[in-house]
Amino acid sequence: MEIEVTIRNAENGSVLNMELDPNTTIEDVIEGAAEFWHKEAGAYVLRRGKKLLKGQSTVADAGLKNEDVLELIPDPEGG
Amino acid sequence: MPTKITSWSEYQVRERPPPPPERVSSHRWFTEDMDHIYREVRDELPLYVQRTAEEKMRNHSLAGMRASHEVMGLLLGGRFTWQGREYALVRDVATTELEASEYHVRFHEDGMEGLFESLDDLDFVYSIVGWYHSHPGIGCFMSDTDVRTQEGSFNSPHHSALVLDPVRREMEAYHMVEGNVVLRALGIYWDLHQDPYRG
Ligand SMILES: [Zn+2]
Repeated sequence: MEIEVTIRNAENGSVLNMELDPNTTIEDVIEGAAEFWHKEAGAYVLRRGKKLLKGQSTVADAGLKNEDVLELIPDPEGG
Repeated sequence: MPTKITSWSEYQVRERPPPPPERVSSHRWFTEDMDHIYREVRDELPLYVQRTAEEKMRNHSLAGMRASHEVMGLLLGGRFTWQGREYALVRDVATTELEASEYHVRFHEDGMEGLFESLDDLDFVYSIVGWYHSHPGIGCFMSDTDVRTQEGSFNSPHHSALVLDPVRREMEAYHMVEGNVVLRALGIYWDLHQDPYRG
């Protein structure tokens, strides 16, 4: 069954709601949100509370529930 | 698997006066170019960094220097408007365990939960308005890796990158303008009732 989650963009405070299938991977979720906000998906991680959501896991594996609030956080690289 | 966005809302930027000129200064680590642009726009700065946030970054870079590696963190604060101009405030910084060498730095995956904890401990609703990192002994500039990070994550007008060289004791800030990284003027501010800040 599909669920709907809220994703907050930590860089500008904007939010979006996303409908997710249990088989969707976290990577897909990041990609969808990053594309919407014109960001590079590979440069972000997603968190629920203090927990880092692993890219390869699915919505079901990660235990995401309807109305969960997630946050998109930049994962910068410096050289 | 494709995802479906059902609704969204933009953040409403709040009106708030910037720190008053008597509580804003340049910094002794500013390079000549940084000092120059600070003086040019000191009454209308696009970026203000709280003195304690500046101290944390500077001390972090000095600790990294002693261990011979770069350090990095996120700039936390918000963006505001006042009399038709937009500016960003850095009120605090956050960092965690790093995967770092002399020429490279990023957050260690095992440190992410610690980073999230620091974000949750803040006593204000934050936006990540940029990032800082250090270049021990090689001077302040934006490397190809740095520019890629800026383009990929911090490409909005209110986003900045701060680079510190703890060996040369230099600091510069940058932002993106039409795909190019250019210097950004910033001022260090302190809150009412704090001692005058000497940098
Ligand atoms: Zn760099």
